[in-house]
Amino acid sequence: MRGDFPLIRYEYEIMRPRFPFRLKPDVSQDTTRLSPNRALSEAFPDEWAGLMAAAQDGHGGAYRRLLSEVANWSQRYFQRRLPLGDVDDAVQETLLAIHRRRHTYDPRYPFAPWLAAIARRKWIDQLRSLGRRPTEELPEHLSVGDHEVSIMSASVLASLLEELRPAQAQVIALVKLQGYSLEEASQETGLSLSAVKMNIHRGLARLTAFIENTDDVE
Amino acid sequence: MSNDALILELSAGLAPVRRRSVTREVAMLIGLGLTELALILGLGLMRPDMGQMIGSPYMFWKLGSLAVLAIISFVIAVRSFSPAFSPRKGLALVVVLAVAAIVTGLLIDPGPANQPTLLDRLSPVEGLLCAASIIVLSVPVMALLAVLMRRGAPTHPERSALASGLAAGTCGALIFAFCCRVNDPLYIVFWYFTACGAVTIAARWIMPRRFQL
Repeated sequence: MRGDFPLIRYEYEIMRPRFPFRLKPDVSQDTTRLSPNRALSEAFPDEWAGLMAAAQDGHGGAYRRLLSEVANWSQRYFQRRLPLGDVDDAVQETLLAIHRRRHTYDPRYPFAPWLAAIARRKWIDQLRSLGRRPTEELPEHLSVGDHEVSIMSASVLASLLEELRPAQAQVIALVKLQGYSLEEASQETGLSLSAVKMNIHRGLARLTAFIENTDDVE
Repeated sequence: MSNDALILELSAGLAPVRRRSVTREVAMLIGLGLTELALILGLGLMRPDMGQMIGSPYMFWKLGSLAVLAIISFVIAVRSFSPAFSPRKGLALVVVLAVAAIVTGLLIDPGPANQPTLLDRLSPVEGLLCAASIIVLSVPVMALLAVLMRRGAPTHPERSALASGLAAGTCGALIFAFCCRVNDPLYIVFWYFTACGAVTIAARWIMPRRFQL
């Protein structure tokens, strides 16, 4: 914004809807993406299948270890695909689905595709619930900061600076309003350092005199 | 609840589970179909000229195509109750086979020459009775498939329901084919297709309801 003449700068942050999750998986680096079966199988070749088979036989320790590792994997899986606030829900839904449907796993086949299919289904369910989630309209009487004073100040300052010579108004705006150093103002305006100092001094003195002699300046 | 607490709760007091078996489920479905067929035959509802007709190309086409469609649909439906299996390609295969069966039927026999109009060939009153019978016969199979689907873990429940509906409909049609006395392929194609379609639509609408993985 330097070089412009914003007496008071209003910065309105445009609240764009953030969409921090991908609907389509990142192909480049995601090892848990939608066609993850091969990657997952390579990462966890047989261990999980054995743990699941033991869990089906009632081995609680193996099941606890399996669920812990699956929870970690699911955490990474959903972090890439869902808003952060929904990741834990999705992970727990996946764990519950694994628990409810653990009898459907056939130990003769790899565990990875079975798990990936369930996780993918839970991901889709979460996306659907995101779409159904109600959004609240902001009330009209919602109080926000009053910008009237700032706008009035900007208007008054603009009219005051119009009373000065352009060179004085420019260096006062740069140094006193926009925070430039004297050296930066000198470079910006092309004036010498002493000329900048003198313009500021004389301009402020003129403004003071103008204000003292004018009644309707607020 | 944190993930760790949930894991502890789920793994505490873990009981052994009976693994799902596709073979067992297919056997249950075949057993149910055979029971229905035996019941129909036991009640004396089989068409009286079945002995002469069983060797004809028309009957071979009718029973053969329905049996093939029913078996393939059963396998696709039951396999789709497993998370790692998507029934999409299987459903496409069934559609292709159904179209092939329809075309073959229309080619194999042009139908009776003494039926002048299309309406006469379709004979709506009898056709509606046939369709209703097929739907009634498919209900037990669809119910069993619905139970199996609830016990399974289909990750595409809508497609699984479609495959189940096709399986139930073609199974009902296959059983009814032993009773149906009409020998016109056009009639068979129209009314059997209508009945199987109705069963499939009903399954697609009913079975995924309140299903949660």
